[in-house]
Amino acid sequence: MSDVVHADPAKPVLNSKVYDVADFAAAQELFHSNGWTDGLPVVPPTEKAVAECLDWALMPPDQLIGIEPVRAQPITAEKLAINAVMAGCLPMHFPVVATAWQAMLKDEFLLHGISSSTGGCAVLVIINGPIRLEIGASGTFNALGNSDRATSVIGRAIRLGLINLMDVRPGGIDRSTFGHPGKFSYCVAEDEEGTNWLPLAATRGMPDGVSAVTVMAALSPRQIMNEWTTDPKEILETFAAEMRANQLHYSIYGGNYAILIPKQLRDIIEAVGWSKRDVAEFLYERARVKRKDWANVGKAAIVRDRPEKVHTALESPDHLLVVAAGGPAGGFGAVIPPWMGSKTKAVTAAIGACVDCEPPKD
Amino acid sequence: MTLRVFDPTNEMKLAGIRPAPRLASLEGKTVGIITNGKEGTKPYFTLVDRMLREDLGVADVVWRQKKNYSAPAEAAIIDEAREWHAAVTGVGD
Repeated sequence: MSDVVHADPAKPVLNSKVYDVADFAAAQELFHSNGWTDGLPVVPPTEKAVAECLDWALMPPDQLIGIEPVRAQPITAEKLAINAVMAGCLPMHFPVVATAWQAMLKDEFLLHGISSSTGGCAVLVIINGPIRLEIGASGTFNALGNSDRATSVIGRAIRLGLINLMDVRPGGIDRSTFGHPGKFSYCVAEDEEGTNWLPLAATRGMPDGVSAVTVMAALSPRQIMNEWTTDPKEILETFAAEMRANQLHYSIYGGNYAILIPKQLRDIIEAVGWSKRDVAEFLYERARVKRKDWANVGKAAIVRDRPEKVHTALESPDHLLVVAAGGPAGGFGAVIPPWMGSKTKAVTAAIGACVDCEPPKD
Repeated sequence: MTLRVFDPTNEMKLAGIRPAPRLASLEGKTVGIITNGKEGTKPYFTLVDRMLREDLGVADVVWRQKKNYSAPAEAAIIDEAREWHAAVTGVGD
């Protein structure tokens, strides 16, 4: 990419405070000593690198990405770009980061609540659409782990932004009793080429072919395994059992769950003609517990006078995020529970589109 | 070679948010308690209530509970709080 041209090279186009450090190592110490990192080294956010991110996304430095609703914190493109560079993002990754933040700043996501809770969750970012291929985001081998550069650095950019722009530092705004590894980076791209199912974003109202991100306040992934059946219902029963376990062990209340189904299990489910909607409706029916079940896991004290009350893991089938992802072999799957029931809602936003723009008047 | 790097933190100052004027005394005043409703807050705020009344001479203590313990208090509670002389709220578990 060519250098960004400034009208006056002596005058930075960026507005943030600058620090002159001796070298790369000194930059690391500056950022660590100020609590500006996640504990890992960062890429020094130089003017050139930050400006290139903004240039790629066609965003001026002072473009307002959004305002955090509770603490009224304004989030600008410049500050997001600085944190994205620190996380290791290339310019082509930045539009995904900026869109994820636009989604996170929606009221229904409850960003302050999810990032300050003792309940310890992370922001899961799910990428759909052609941009996955353009940036090399993989949804196959080692999904949810260190599968590829793009998802690793995009997920990390979300966390560094939370730390630096929202003061979400452990013991500060972040009051988590336990975190989980997704609080370093939590991003996955859907394996759209490996499935006949609609992409997640399309099931959530995005036009086909549009690149989009979905953000969800998410606990750590829980792996399941069922390699001993070719019955789709039996496979999904294993997912349902994990969801019920989370209801009893963590929170009984319904919310957005995400499930990741890899190709080996997907092929079985798709072969009988089941869509993502069919999967969601099956799990809506099967992932539910009675309040009295709490007594079996040491929570008898809160069964109270409603032992027969039924709690569904999903408030409706619409609340399940079904994602085609995972390596091509292996009868595994992942259940990703929500932070706290429906207090937060997953949000999907199109990349490269203004999510707050008013429709044309004509 | 010197490396020039940028501050990654939010440098924009919030406008219009400042602490309320401090009261010289709580004697005879009305104090609101806005609780998030979590189990552990009950004994805590019960003690605060007693201290406010018995030790500091507060005339009335009004309890209100948020519907969502992770979200700000509802507008109705905030509106009502305008009638109080002081309010006690914050992180609780």
